[in-house]
Amino acid sequence: MAVVTLDQLTKIYDRGHAPAADAVSLEIRHGEFMVLLGPSGCGKTTTLRMIAGLESISSGTLSIDGQVVNTVPAKDRDIAMVFQSYALYPHMSVKNNLAFGLRRRAVPRDEIERRVSSVAATLGLSQLLDRRPHALSGGQRQRVALGRAIVRDPKVFLFDEPLSNLDAALRVSTRGEISALHRRLGATMIYVTHDQVEAMTMGSRICIMNGGKIVQVGEPLEVYRHPANTFVASFLGNPPMNLLRAAVTDDADGRGLRIGAWRIVIPAERMPALSVGTEVIFGIRPEKLSGTPQPGATSIDGEVVQVDPLGAETIFAARIPDVDKPLFARVGPDVPIKVGERRQLGVDLSAAHVFDAQGNALHP
Amino acid sequence: MALATSATGDDGLRRPWGAIVSFLLPALTIYVAFTAYPVLRTLWNSAHKVLPRREIFVGLENYTALARDEIFWRAVRNTITWASISPAAEVLVALLLALALYAKVPGARLFRIAWFTPVLMSYIVVGILWVWIYNFDWGPVNVALRALGLGGLAKAWLGNPSTALASLIFVTTWMWIGFNMVVLLAAIHSLPKEVIEAADLDNCGWGQKLVYVILPLIWPTVLNLLVLSFIGKMKIFDLVWITTKGGPLWSTETVSTYVYKRAFEWSTFDLGYPSTIAAIWFVIVLAIVLTLTFALRQRSKLEY
Amino acid sequence: MTRPLRHSLLLILLAGYTAFAAGPFVWVAIMSLRTTTEIMADHFALPTIIHWDKFPTAWFNSNYNVYFKNSAMIVLSAVVILTIVGAMAAHCLARYRFRMNRVIYFILFSTIIFPPQITIISLFQILVQYGLYDTRVGLIFVYVAIQLPLTIYILESFFARIPADLFDAARIDGYSEWEIFWRVSFPIAIPAIATTVILNFILLWNEFLYAVVLITDDANRTLPLGIQRFMGDQLEDTGMIATGLMIAIIPVIIVYAFFSEKLIQGMTAGAVK
Repeated sequence: MAVVTLDQLTKIYDRGHAPAADAVSLEIRHGEFMVLLGPSGCGKTTTLRMIAGLESISSGTLSIDGQVVNTVPAKDRDIAMVFQSYALYPHMSVKNNLAFGLRRRAVPRDEIERRVSSVAATLGLSQLLDRRPHALSGGQRQRVALGRAIVRDPKVFLFDEPLSNLDAALRVSTRGEISALHRRLGATMIYVTHDQVEAMTMGSRICIMNGGKIVQVGEPLEVYRHPANTFVASFLGNPPMNLLRAAVTDDADGRGLRIGAWRIVIPAERMPALSVGTEVIFGIRPEKLSGTPQPGATSIDGEVVQVDPLGAETIFAARIPDVDKPLFARVGPDVPIKVGERRQLGVDLSAAHVFDAQGNALHP
Repeated sequence: MALATSATGDDGLRRPWGAIVSFLLPALTIYVAFTAYPVLRTLWNSAHKVLPRREIFVGLENYTALARDEIFWRAVRNTITWASISPAAEVLVALLLALALYAKVPGARLFRIAWFTPVLMSYIVVGILWVWIYNFDWGPVNVALRALGLGGLAKAWLGNPSTALASLIFVTTWMWIGFNMVVLLAAIHSLPKEVIEAADLDNCGWGQKLVYVILPLIWPTVLNLLVLSFIGKMKIFDLVWITTKGGPLWSTETVSTYVYKRAFEWSTFDLGYPSTIAAIWFVIVLAIVLTLTFALRQRSKLEY
Repeated sequence: MTRPLRHSLLLILLAGYTAFAAGPFVWVAIMSLRTTTEIMADHFALPTIIHWDKFPTAWFNSNYNVYFKNSAMIVLSAVVILTIVGAMAAHCLARYRFRMNRVIYFILFSTIIFPPQITIISLFQILVQYGLYDTRVGLIFVYVAIQLPLTIYILESFFARIPADLFDAARIDGYSEWEIFWRVSFPIAIPAIATTVILNFILLWNEFLYAVVLITDDANRTLPLGIQRFMGDQLEDTGMIATGLMIAIIPVIIVYAFFSEKLIQGMTAGAVK
């Protein structure tokens, strides 16, 4: 359990190019499960490797429990890492893979035995202790990689996209195992992924990165409901938030937006103060659009252009007049929708988002 | 997790120079002491008369003498002839055998093992064996010829200046066919099956499949083998030394045997001149290899 | 032509070629068990009496035991040194990035093309100068030097294929660079190392040129040298020469019998493009 503090952490590989990690500042609290989320190349793995000590830090300070560790070698930082490719030693048995790190640290023999057997039991590896990695399935290898980290009892656990190499079903179950592990150990864990589902379900806080910089940090649902910009808004959620160009209007019904031929009045608590005519971006999530509008609620006419019946729900896209992009909506499986029909879409404006023309969230 | 390595060299971690140097030191020390330094010293020798207790600088005198050295040029001709004919023969026969094995003849594995055997043997062993095989009175070659009623063709193969070199070339061909066959077979096996199947679907007969599909695809390997074999024959020494020692009458003299004789057998005691031969030969070999590699690499790129 | 007929014809041709390729060795094996008198009477007959005693005779009376022991000692020492030194260099070149890396690799690798004459004369001078001429130790060093490029070439490509994550994990586990080499790289590369060991063994066991230049004393001779001298001295004693040849061939055959696949792959690796 430890506090990890990143202060303006920067990594430059090539003086000619942009930094891989740019002034990353983040405080990861005791026992927190912090997820670094973002598309490939956003700097999340570089940041993780700097925390681990596998990359040198170009500038900025990294502290663990208040102690600056910039120049401390990886082996002395009391961290353990789970790699995407598991990184198991192929010439050693599972037992030796688990014990390898401990043997180095002058941990007494019987203590090593004890820890290895208890971790193996927890992860269901007791029967596999004498096998070599090539004789294990992907899921088993991942558990050995996990076990290797647990056995070290480190201050901080680091995960580098550990689930990417697993198939879908294994991913779901291993996700649960890692979360259960976190609950049980209460340790500080830093987890890198590009998968928003993993981030939303596992993180106590998520940190979204793009282009080497931190874009937003917060609890998953917070970030989901209040994205700081259009990048975050469209990164979380599947299908992503509908984002449409709009202009500010003000008339008898109140202040609102004109989107193509559609005029809507935004509730005062969601509508930022802007002059009429300002270009903005309007955002609404698909689940906030319904196929059967409530009487009195705002609605819009659209023509259905695409229907994806997924079984548990149906996602459809509708074109509204004078707007080039279709709106995606998410409805229950029993709502009958057909391509080509005209439909009224109900809009829950209490969940409307307004972003400025550069994509930053605006607040009332 | 691939990391870019920049031109300025920072790849992420402070480079562990201590480790790098200690890993490389033994190998580099041996290299410098027993390869690099000797090369330089040979070059230095070539500009001197190197006698047992003193060395006299002679500038380019050795080189001009070399240009007029009949034996040297004879040796060069012999060696290059050898290095041109043997590879062609080895690879050609090897190709035929590889195709035969590829046709899934039963016992392919055993054939492969048997045919590879000559490659493993020392040239000394091979040399003595063939001295016996070529023996005028009782060697299998002449015995067979006489048995077939062709006794008139029986010769002292290694003792006759007009047949000695060809006989030795035959020996190296015999020796290396197995090696080339194994490589070619592996190359043919590594061809994508779909291409061959597509040819089958296009109703290609065996001959057409061979010429239009298989050969072009394994051409880079064929070229590679030719170059490897060429390099090997340019270096040849052991075989000649145990069989003919360069005779009869310089007909099998190679550059390597000539250098050995001038350095260690003739009573001139001058190591400078043989060093000159070695230096020139070094340049010649390097030049030919570089030219070959460059020219062939261009060609094989154009094929595709 | 029907398929079975075509196959039978092919088989006959191939069997013929096999006799051509392996025949000489069978012949020498047979001759090694017959006395010279018997051989001179009929060169191609099978032995009527199998003269096993020729082997001990060659071994003890013709100094083959000395030559064999010299070869064994020199080649084994050279192979051990080659393996360790070569693996260290290959590991370093494959795993660490530094500016001179490719330059050093190229320099080491390019010496494969060098004709031996460019080094042999000055090696003679150098070894004489340092008192290593006509010593087994001197030859060992030279043998290591000549096989180093090939060894590093084979091992470097293997080491380069080990995933980088393994090294990161080992670093986090607290292993020093040397330990990472010895406990992670080296064990994982055992297949490739085995290949280089077998390859180096065969090539050095058969090596002749450097040995003939750098060794003169009969007590230091290697097997190929011994055979050549024997051939020179006792040209007419075909029987004993044959036995001597067999003594030289048998270790190679044994290695080949056990490791044929590895040997074939090792010697032909890199030739397929």
